Amino acid sequence: MRRSIPALFASRLAALGLVSALALTACSAGSSNSSGGDAAAKDTLNVALTGEPVNLDFTTTAGAAIPQAMMSNVYEGLVQVDQEGKIQPLLATEWKVSEDRESYTFTLKEGVKFSNGADFTADDVKFSLDRVKSDAWKNGLKSKMDVVSSVKVDSPTQVTVTLSQPSQAWLYSMTTLVGAMFDESGVSDLANQPVGTGPYALGEWKRGEAITLKAREDYWGTKPGIPTVNLRYFADAVATTNALKSGDVDLVYNMQAPELLSGFEGDSKYQVLKGTSNGEIILSMNNKKAPFNDVRVRQAVMYAVDRQAVMDTAWAGLGTQVGGPVPTTDPYYEDLNSVYPHDVDKAKSLLKEAGAENLSITFSVPTRPYAQAVSEIVVSQLKEVGINAKIESAEFPAVWLDKVFTKHEYQMSVVLAVESRDVLTMFNNPDYYIGYDNSKIKADAAAADQADEAGYVQGMKKVVRQIVDDAAADTLFIFPNVVVGKAGLAGVPANSVTEALSLSGIAWK
Amino acid sequence: MSTTSQQAATEGRPATGGSTSTRRPRRRRGTLNLRIGASLVAVVVLAALLSYVWTPFDPTQAMPSDRLQAPNATHWFGTDKYGRDTFSAVLQGARITLLVGVVAVGIALLVGTPLGIWAGMRRGAAEEVTMRFADILLAFPALLMAIMFAASFGASTVTAMVAIGLGSVPGFARVARSGTLQVMSTEYVQAARASSQPALRMARRHVLPNIAGMVVVQCSVTFALAVLAEAALSFLGLGTPPPTPSWGRMLQESQQFLDSMPALAIFPGVAIAVAVLGFNLLGDGLRDRFDPKMTGGKS
Repeated sequence: MRRSIPALFASRLAALGLVSALALTACSAGSSNSSGGDAAAKDTLNVALTGEPVNLDFTTTAGAAIPQAMMSNVYEGLVQVDQEGKIQPLLATEWKVSEDRESYTFTLKEGVKFSNGADFTADDVKFSLDRVKSDAWKNGLKSKMDVVSSVKVDSPTQVTVTLSQPSQAWLYSMTTLVGAMFDESGVSDLANQPVGTGPYALGEWKRGEAITLKAREDYWGTKPGIPTVNLRYFADAVATTNALKSGDVDLVYNMQAPELLSGFEGDSKYQVLKGTSNGEIILSMNNKKAPFNDVRVRQAVMYAVDRQAVMDTAWAGLGTQVGGPVPTTDPYYEDLNSVYPHDVDKAKSLLKEAGAENLSITFSVPTRPYAQAVSEIVVSQLKEVGINAKIESAEFPAVWLDKVFTKHEYQMSVVLAVESRDVLTMFNNPDYYIGYDNSKIKADAAAADQADEAGYVQGMKKVVRQIVDDAAADTLFIFPNVVVGKAGLAGVPANSVTEALSLSGIAWK
Repeated sequence: MSTTSQQAATEGRPATGGSTSTRRPRRRRGTLNLRIGASLVAVVVLAALLSYVWTPFDPTQAMPSDRLQAPNATHWFGTDKYGRDTFSAVLQGARITLLVGVVAVGIALLVGTPLGIWAGMRRGAAEEVTMRFADILLAFPALLMAIMFAASFGASTVTAMVAIGLGSVPGFARVARSGTLQVMSTEYVQAARASSQPALRMARRHVLPNIAGMVVVQCSVTFALAVLAEAALSFLGLGTPPPTPSWGRMLQESQQFLDSMPALAIFPGVAIAVAVLGFNLLGDGLRDRFDPKMTGGKS
């Protein structure tokens, strides 16, 4: 067993030699890289994200990660929203709305090509919009196109869309993923091979690691500031900031560990942006299943949960308190914080009234940092009013989407709802996983959509108030968009007002 | 670390056999190990028992106004980001640690020991098959198996216990077999065999009492590994679900605060270290005491 001392010494010496040799090669590799490496770094942007998409096809798969990577970068629509939430032209240069507000005539930009080389024409608009209404689209968001009755090609550069009734929401929907433009010959393998008109095309997707986007030489608009972007997916939030510190990535977008911000603030090597987003942290209660099929039990939860305390503890106080499922950037936003103040006694008496004292429930928590952080404080607050919530972790996205979102096998859950203007998606559909009985809002929502701008805003406010009165779900807070990046980057979008992370405006200073 | 201690427990000692000159100091060191190990284990056990009757605060009760406090007179170990008392959580975390250890070791003991004895007594093809199967299982990282279990059956304390327990079966089987082989070669067993005693009776009367010491040592070492595995699984979010306090998860939750509030990581970290060290030293001490070569044999 025991080795002689000289032998031991010799092996140590050899090991030492090996280590120093390695160190030397590492040094020389490092120095030769840094001269040429700077130039290489200017060509590449490494973005750290958490939550890799299961595939790249948002037409069939729900979830925020796909449009985050694909929209604005690979796919474009006829129109887009700017950082203030206003609708601007994109693939359409202009559009005319008829007197009865039922038909929209779009004039298309010329010389636009898809990444597979095909020309973008009015036929593609018709194909794309018709396809949303076909069975090829499985994403629940496709219902936003239900109002379209026909799409007519007037000329290669002009297309008229006719709606079955006036709709305030429709043109806005056209800025989202349901308005993405596809080429008929490029939809055979959307899960792996996206084909769009955007500034980037998919370079490579190493599953479990990174999506590489390459700037297109034949892009119609302004060329992206950085030719190669690697969207790197990390398992947890701490890993993303560690990667930034070690220089492995240049930007952490939508950073999921707010407590780590202090390490970057005040450091001139980094920039910290605290923007807003249109994502709501929704504490969902299955409205169709006991005990949350009783409005009093849901209301009790609303009173029991101290939303400000949840935001302060779980997310370092970053975010916005709203009290209803509408982000501040939506036109029909209003402050509804006073509807359910934190009131333990009220919660208890509502539970007593509903005969639901000493309630035991299962709380399905997706494996996302915000959800896990929120769940522990929510469980503690529910316990105070006599609701014993047992946390059951659901792997996100696969297990959560299957069990909670698709099969509705849950009682309580919490998720970040990131789709833009999604209040009706969530609540005006009794088959949605929340299962809210929409009979009280259906007519009002339809009327609001058909009204003029002012009527739309008023009508939607009424709808939202009804949803909050019925305690359909508890909006804990509006998620902040926290971005940390190297100081040398310019044009990083601070606010996340769309579902996309638009990369083409980012450049090295 | 796991392999060395396990190997030491299974094969190392019987082979080395102390010479007269090394016997005395080793034995004294053994007693010291035993004492230190037993005291550390006692601390953990007492913490767990205490948590049933008293904790300064409810460890699952969030107090947002008290969040992220450094250790002070009210909160001895400080508070976490929800304002939960770390000291109370460390006390109550000992419960899960011990529970997982006891059940995992229990499973491994009840499955592995009879298998090992059986293999050692039967010899031949039965032995070959059993032990090669144990080798295969041993070659498979126990933690990886636990992660697979958690992925297919959902993360819970029970899954973790069963996975860690099954992963520890081969260790017990090997120890029991090597002990049985020794016992089977002794003269009194030869005599018992000659008088055609039934195998079960022989196993009970001659084999089991003689390998009991080695098995106890294996228990202690496996316990230490189980504690570590539970902490690792909880750290990965595959062990005990929140809000039940678990040292591994406390470590995981403290990650964001390593710079600003290191106390959050230090206390559960020290608790894990104390438990693992305690059971390892206890195992070492017990081994030195039970080792037949050093006590001059007990048969």
